[in-house]
Amino acid sequence: MAADFDYLPLSPATLHILLSLAGEDLHGYGIMQEIARHSDGKYKVGPGTLYDNLQKLMDREWVEELGCRKSDDDPRRRYYRLTAAGRGVLAAETARLAGVVREARSRLQMAKPRRA
Amino acid sequence: MLRHFYRCALRLHPPEFRRRFSAEMLLIYDHSTGRFSSLRLILDAFVSLARQGILRPEFWLRTSPASAPRAFDGIPSFSSLDPFRPHTSAMIHGTVVSIALFCVTCFAIRYSWIHVLQIHIPEVQFESPRWVPSSPGTGASAHQLSVSPIRMQPPLASTSFGSPLSQKQLPAATATEAARRTGTPSGKGAFKSNKSVETTPTLATLPNPVTGTEEHLAFTQAPLSALERRRVIGEAITHLRRYYIYPAAARRMAESLRKHEQNGDDDSASAGSAFASLLTTQLRAVSHDRHLGISYSQSAIPEGATGPTPEAIMHYRQEMERTNCGFEKVVLLSHYIGYVKLNSFPDLQLCRSTVEAAMTSLNQADAIIFDLRDNHGGSPEMVAFVASYLFDHPTHLEDFYNRSENTTLPSWTLSPIEGNQLANKPAFVLTSAETFSGGEEFAYDLKMLKRATVVGETTAGAAHMVRQRRIDAHFRLRVPDTRPINPVSKTNWEGTGVTPDVRVNAAQALATAEWLAEKLPNK
Repeated sequence: MAADFDYLPLSPATLHILLSLAGEDLHGYGIMQEIARHSDGKYKVGPGTLYDNLQKLMDREWVEELGCRKSDDDPRRRYYRLTAAGRGVLAAETARLAGVVREARSRLQMAKPRRA
Repeated sequence: MLRHFYRCALRLHPPEFRRRFSAEMLLIYDHSTGRFSSLRLILDAFVSLARQGILRPEFWLRTSPASAPRAFDGIPSFSSLDPFRPHTSAMIHGTVVSIALFCVTCFAIRYSWIHVLQIHIPEVQFESPRWVPSSPGTGASAHQLSVSPIRMQPPLASTSFGSPLSQKQLPAATATEAARRTGTPSGKGAFKSNKSVETTPTLATLPNPVTGTEEHLAFTQAPLSALERRRVIGEAITHLRRYYIYPAAARRMAESLRKHEQNGDDDSASAGSAFASLLTTQLRAVSHDRHLGISYSQSAIPEGATGPTPEAIMHYRQEMERTNCGFEKVVLLSHYIGYVKLNSFPDLQLCRSTVEAAMTSLNQADAIIFDLRDNHGGSPEMVAFVASYLFDHPTHLEDFYNRSENTTLPSWTLSPIEGNQLANKPAFVLTSAETFSGGEEFAYDLKMLKRATVVGETTAGAAHMVRQRRIDAHFRLRVPDTRPINPVSKTNWEGTGVTPDVRVNAAQALATAEWLAEKLPNK
C-alpha cells in the first residue's frame, strides 16, 4: 500500500471533503453543504462524486464511518469522521498549498511594475 | 417517477457501493427541491455509474455481505437488492401471481393446437379407477399414481409396434384378429403365419416413445439389493439372447450389461425405476434400438398374466374417444386437397369406423396429404388399413420377420375399399424427426411403392416391433423380436430413418406439399 503522502497533491474533491470533516463529524449531505459554504458556493460536489471519494478515503483509512446517531431524525444518515491519518494528510496538503501560495505571491510581487 | 429512475441508476452500481451509500444518496435526493435539481442528481448518478464502471473495476469484484446468499444449516436463503425485507403482503401476492402464471403457461402448452414447443407434459391419473385409502390391517396404502404419455400406442394390437393381447381379454376382438392368431387366413391381406400367442401383461401405462420406459410415480420404492439387480440383469440377458432380433447385438448387449455390473456402475441405482432407466440407457448405447427398454412397475405383475386388465382396455377406449383415434384434423383444403393429420395408428378393431368416416369425407379430394409429423406409431394392421385407401388392388407392403420363431408375416393392404375414390389420387406424406415406428412404416411403404411423395425431415429411424417379456414381479423387458423387410428395398429404416423425397423443415412441410399438390399437371 502506498504511503499516505504519496497521494499528494490531493484532488480538489478529496481536499474539500477532508477540509469539511476537519471541524466536526458530518453526514453526506452535511459534507456537501459544508463544501458549498467554505468555498462560497464556488465548488460543489454531487452525491456520486462525494461517495466515490468517501469510499476511497475510507479504504485509505483517512475517514471512518460512525454509523447513524440516535438523536438524528433520519436513520439513513451515516456520519463520517476524519481519522488521525486523514488529519495528517490534510495538514501536509495544507502546508504544500501554503508553500505554493507563498511562492506564487513572491513571484507575483517580483513581476509587479515598480516606479522608478 | 424521477425518484424511481434515480433508484434504478443506484441499483446499477457495484454491490458494495450500493450497500454502503445508496440509502444516503436517496436521502440526498429526497432533500433536493425542484425538477432541475432532481435531473442534476440523476445525471450525477449516471456519471458516478460510469466512473465506477471505468475507473473502479475492483469494486465490482467485492461481495457485499448483505447481498450474498447465505445458507443456514444447509437451508438456502434469498437476498434482495434493497436493504429492507419486502412486505409480507408483497410476498403473498408474488407467490399467487407466480403460481397462476405457471398454471396458465402449462395450460397453454398442453392445449395449444400450435405445437411450437415440443414439450412433453404427462397426464397424471390414478392407475386405479378410484382412490383406495389405506385401511387398518392392509399394510401400505393401495393408492399410487401413474403417469402416461399423451400419445398412446394401442394396447389392443398384438404383433405391433404396441403390445400383444390375449383373445380372452378382449371379447370384441374380431374374426380377423382371431384368424391372425390361429394362423387361418382371413381374406386378402390377412396375416398368414402361425404365430403363437405368447403374451405378457400390457397396461394403459405405455412406453414413452422417447425414453422407452414406462413411467410410474410411486410414493415409495423399496431399494434394490445387489442380488436383485443381478437377477434382473440375468433374466434380461436370457430374454435378449432368446428373442432379440439380432443375436450378435444381443450378445454385445449382454456383455455390456455384465461389464457395467462388474464395474459397479449400477450400484447407485437402488430405486427400481432408476435401475430400469439405467439398464435401458446401457442397452441402447450398444444397440441404438429405440424400441428396446426395461420398465419398472410399482404394482406387482402377476406371473403368467395375459393381456391388459379390463381397466386398461376401458382407459384405452376412453382415450381413443377423446383423441378421435389419433385423427387430429381431417379437412378439405383449397384446390380440393384432402388433409389428414394422424398422430397414431390405433387399434384397427376399435377405430375402423373412425378411419372409414375420415377417409370417406375426403372422397372428393384431387390429392391427399397425410400429416404424420407428430405420429408415434401403433398397429401395423392400421397402417395397412389406412394405406388401403391409396390402392385399388391388394398391395404387398411389408414382411415382418420374427427371429425367435423364424416366421415371416406378410402385410398387405385391404384394397379395394368399397366406395373409395382416392385410390389413384396423388398422395403426400409429411414427416418430421419425431415421426416414429408405425408412422415411419407408412411413409416408407408408400415411398418404396412410389405411391406417395414424402415431404419433410428424415424420420426417427425405429423400425422394429416389440413384445413385452416379464422379468419378475416388477420389471418388464420390451424386446424387439420382429423386423420389417420391405419387398422392394429388402431392408427397412431402422437407424437410418425414412429420407424424404422433398427435404424441408417440418414446419414448412405442409405448405410445401400444398404447393406441390396445386402444381400437379392433372389439376
